[in-house]
Amino acid sequence: MKKQLFVASLLIVFSFPSYAAALMGFAGSSMLMTEIGEYNQELMVNYAPTVHHAFGVEVMRMSPKGSSATTMTGLNYTGLLKRWNLPAAQANIWVMGSIGEAKGQFNGFSYSPSIQFDYETTRLYFLAKTRMVRAPGMNNDVAAIQAGFSFFETDFDETQPWFVLEAKTTRNMQPSMQVTPALRLINKNYFLELGMTNPFNRGERAPRLNLMLTY
Amino acid sequence: MMKKLMIVIFLLTAFLQASVGFAASIKAEVNGMICAFCAKGIEKKLNAMPEAKGAFVNLKRRIVVLELKEQQDVPLTTFEQVITDAGYTISKVQKVEQSIEAIKTEMKANP
Repeated sequence: MKKQLFVASLLIVFSFPSYAAALMGFAGSSMLMTEIGEYNQELMVNYAPTVHHAFGVEVMRMSPKGSSATTMTGLNYTGLLKRWNLPAAQANIWVMGSIGEAKGQFNGFSYSPSIQFDYETTRLYFLAKTRMVRAPGMNNDVAAIQAGFSFFETDFDETQPWFVLEAKTTRNMQPSMQVTPALRLINKNYFLELGMTNPFNRGERAPRLNLMLTY
Repeated sequence: MMKKLMIVIFLLTAFLQASVGFAASIKAEVNGMICAFCAKGIEKKLNAMPEAKGAFVNLKRRIVVLELKEQQDVPLTTFEQVITDAGYTISKVQKVEQSIEAIKTEMKANP
């Protein structure tokens, strides 16, 4: 029972596509998030009426190597469960959920609850996440951790470069383990990440791009 | 007589305007402000205030400044609400008789 609880906790503490710590903007803002990779593609747009809640739409495509893809389209909710604003750091617990329809290799009602913990300073970054990705006959649950550092501190109007390393496992996915080193550029107007998934495996090597914009 | 009265009223009005202490800026130390992309909302919301002459955010020193237009004022509670709605916490806030440029110059002099 304890082991099951531990596994469930781990599953709850890891998920989402590879985004920044902030999964929504400020009160009254809209955010666009996208991930474009060979094995996962995702586009989400949300609106945050308050700093604690955001509502949006999401399209997610899982493309296992050698299999047909499944596309899930649905409504999405993002909630800021807890935030710690420290003098030189911030930590957050986010919950997120999507419901919609899957089409492709698997078809029917899809749902995707997830939770994320992140801790960030102006120089260091850590994130752990888990996400259930389910539809009839489909289980592509995801668990991932990210860690990174910025090369130097910047002012508010400058672009800050980061190096971020992500390790992600996806059930019933080929490749099931994806390791992605990435260069992340953070500016007050955009968040851009360029990475290479499994760079040392010739058969699985694939570029990945993440982009976030807030309005 | 009327002319003298008008001069007295004019001088009194000028004296009162000069003596009223309008702060040039509101300056705050903000906790949790670690990323420009995440803190964009602070600058956007402050600049949108009709009383705002400009806003300044410094991540390294965790400082947010709202410079006010002449003869304009903003209650500290209103300023604090903007920071809170952006997702951050204020550790210290005060009205100062300094412009953003003066604060920037002071920060450069004391790195």
